Amino acid sequence: MKNVFIDLEKCIGCRHCEVACAIEHSSGKELFSMYFEVPRPQPRISVKLGVDLMTFPNKCQHCDPAPCMEVCPVNAIFRDVKTDTVQVQEERCISCGMCAMVCPYGAIQYQVRPNLPNEVAYKCDSCISRLENGKEPACVEACVTNALVFGEYNEIIAEKQRGISLNLTREIQGYKEEEMPENIKAFRALQRKVAQLGPLPSSQNKINVNEKIKGASKRWISH
Amino acid sequence: MDKSLIKLKVEERTIDESAKPLLERTLEEGIETAWDRLEKQQPQCGFGQLGLCCNRCSMGPCRIDPFEKDGPKRGVCGADADLIVARNLLDDLVTGAAAHSDHGREVVETLLMTAEGKSQGYEILDKEKLYTVAKEIGITTEGRNDTDIAKDIALSFLEEYGTIKNSIDLSKRAPEPTQDKWAKAGILPRSVDREIVEAMHRIHMGVGADYANILLHGLRASLSDGWGGSMMATEVSDILFGTPEIKESWVNLGTLKEDMVNIVLHGHNPVLSEMVVKAVKEQEMVDLAKQKGAKGINLVGMCCTGNELLMRRGIPIAGNLLNQELALATGAVDVMIIDYQCIFPSITQVASCFHTKIVSTSEKSKVPGAVHMEFHPETAYDTAKNIVKLAIETYEQRNPDRVKIPAKPVKMMAGFSVEAIKKALGGTFQPLIDAIANGSIKGAVGMVGCNNPKIKQDYGHVTLGKELIKRNILVVETGCAAIASGKAGLLLPEAADLAGDGLKSVCHALGIPPVLHMGSCVDCSRILVLAAELAKALNVGIDQLPLAGAAPEWYSQKAVSIASYFVASGVYTVLGLPPKIFGSKNVIDLLTSGLNDVVGATYAVEPGPVAAADLIEKHIDSKRKDLGI
Ligand code: SF4
Ligand code: SF4
Ligand code: SF4
Ligand code: SF4
Repeated sequence: MKNVFIDLEKCIGCRHCEVACAIEHSSGKELFSMYFEVPRPQPRISVKLGVDLMTFPNKCQHCDPAPCMEVCPVNAIFRDVKTDTVQVQEERCISCGMCAMVCPYGAIQYQVRPNLPNEVAYKCDSCISRLENGKEPACVEACVTNALVFGEYNEIIAEKQRGISLNLTREIQGYKEEEMPENIKAFRALQRKVAQLGPLPSSQNKINVNEKIKGASKRWISH
Repeated sequence: MDKSLIKLKVEERTIDESAKPLLERTLEEGIETAWDRLEKQQPQCGFGQLGLCCNRCSMGPCRIDPFEKDGPKRGVCGADADLIVARNLLDDLVTGAAAHSDHGREVVETLLMTAEGKSQGYEILDKEKLYTVAKEIGITTEGRNDTDIAKDIALSFLEEYGTIKNSIDLSKRAPEPTQDKWAKAGILPRSVDREIVEAMHRIHMGVGADYANILLHGLRASLSDGWGGSMMATEVSDILFGTPEIKESWVNLGTLKEDMVNIVLHGHNPVLSEMVVKAVKEQEMVDLAKQKGAKGINLVGMCCTGNELLMRRGIPIAGNLLNQELALATGAVDVMIIDYQCIFPSITQVASCFHTKIVSTSEKSKVPGAVHMEFHPETAYDTAKNIVKLAIETYEQRNPDRVKIPAKPVKMMAGFSVEAIKKALGGTFQPLIDAIANGSIKGAVGMVGCNNPKIKQDYGHVTLGKELIKRNILVVETGCAAIASGKAGLLLPEAADLAGDGLKSVCHALGIPPVLHMGSCVDCSRILVLAAELAKALNVGIDQLPLAGAAPEWYSQKAVSIASYFVASGVYTVLGLPPKIFGSKNVIDLLTSGLNDVVGATYAVEPGPVAAADLIEKHIDSKRKDLGI
């Protein structure tokens, strides 16, 4: 299974991925012309603020079996066998909202498309045309920090496991090598404190107004 | 939005009681404020926050992977994280220094025009200061009339901006050991404009790649602000409008009045606002206001223009940075006059929800949607009168049903210029030095800086202030920090009861608050002068004194410059929000420890007010120990 792996610790909320995604899904495939397209192309990956000023790039994970695909009453969602991705056939979509309701990531939104009368489901298509040309998805290419990595999941995880083994054994031997640079760790610690002192979501504050207001509750996070 | 959620949101945003009902109104009515915009800006880009984004040239923009693994480590030109962070910091710093200094220049120009008889409505109000400054910079006073002396001072000060002199006169006010340190480090400030222009040169691609060399220039540029541009702004404002004396006044949004024409003076420069103060006193204006059904004209300040007027005239002050949109949301402001700096570009949008007019007055600072009534010293008084007339006319359009004035104002004391402090001490600094020596006052902290919506409004200032006075540390303040303390009641002699026993007894004996309001942000130069006076009395450098600086809620580039000239002058300074330097370990190391060997002080970053107080106390204790007191 080939997919985009998200390394949460490395996401710094720059939203390059969002911009790159929108460009990829524009007809000109170019930043400056994109701004004049109607309707303006929308990103299919979304970077939102979590607690302590941490961020999470959220997108369709191309599940298998895919809940969205299973509930679609008109079979507008299908699996592309060659790329092993979940795709929307926009002309079929009847805007019923079922897929969006069942998607565990909230990865489906609705937008107007040229030549279609209704607002149809749109989500990450894993940049299928890029994949077919042997390239990685646009968001992955744009992510400077490598918070997004595209590849065979087992390979990425094996790599991660090797890292964990090295770190753990090093630690046992009394030689600790930090994964995260010192300055970034210091910065994150400061951000945690800043979040505690102001209106931005903090892991330390009991009542989190922003979470409540946005209607985001445990329900969405705990699965 | 649900009522209970609005209440919670308000509690998360501010501790200013007078702000709360208005914040509630903005949320109920969908009037957008800085807090809403902060929310909409999330998430904010980490490259920017870390200082790792360079957008200087058109090979870029470039960004450096902060995780040091596989991503880019250099920009297209080859700049690494250290260099990019240093260049960005220097850019911020000199933007701030330029803002202060350009403001200073306008005041000096007004002095020149006044001396030449070309300005309208101005006079030299503080002759004592005129003579003191003249003597200090080597201008003869004997047998000469005031205008000639003033002209020479103005011309000599304008030269501080130029490149001929190659040194800044007022920087000689620093104690010798401090000046020696500057000379040794090669950071003696040469001229206000020169350091700023050179900084802009240095951040161009390919002008030096040594981050430390760039940051050292930053210190020099900051000194040309603190001991140059800002100090000239302070001194010349004193000459023209009088050196502040201790006085009482009122603070918070409750200073706006339901039955009066309300004029808010917002921004930084006292030059026009002083004329407005004059104009509202004219019988013609008062009569006109009454004719329109108002009881009179109510003038209040906002931000540092407000601080200038408060310090010299006792004009009440409505609030600090984050209060500006809320003042408009009272529906009671008829005219808000703006000059420049810290004015949210959105104010005309908020004003448009009411009858309020925004009047811009500086050619440099136009805002779409504002009425522009340009100010020039030659016609200052006429302009001031015209603006007041406009306010009175606008009052007629006020909808009384939309007026919402919260809470009662809080009483406060201000006017603590160095001269006023000295006078309060009985004409000499000795009592203060004795109190420090015997430990009843442990030391002093200059708390300065802004509001920043990332931190609950005023919480940082007030909590740190209380924490410090409890530990017998005297707090002197300027800018938004001072306004925050005023709103919280800390600028009253009664607040001494919150202080430790030593500080409390000193305050009681002198009848002063434990937190002293020293003025606007250019008046941070007064803090430098005070520090210099103490150091000279003890025959040491400023870095040897039990002093510290703090900016718990800073946001602006000017704060970067202030923090830097504090540090460069030898004052350890704690910032409440991380500056954009955390992308470079080397820059952090230099600023938080390496500088000790260069200027005898460093920066620190600590958002938590209690933890910040701990750091400051520890620093002060160690300086006391070194001094053997
Ligand atoms: S590009 Fe990478 S670091 Fe930036 S927001 Fe997206 S996932 Fe995060
Ligand atoms: S849209 Fe949601 S449910 Fe469907 S494949 Fe993507 S992540 Fe899974
Ligand atoms: S919204 Fe469209 S794609 Fe989603 S389930 Fe309904 S018909 Fe299918
Ligand atoms: S100056 Fe260098 S790092 Fe900055 S944008 Fe240009 S190439 Fe990139």
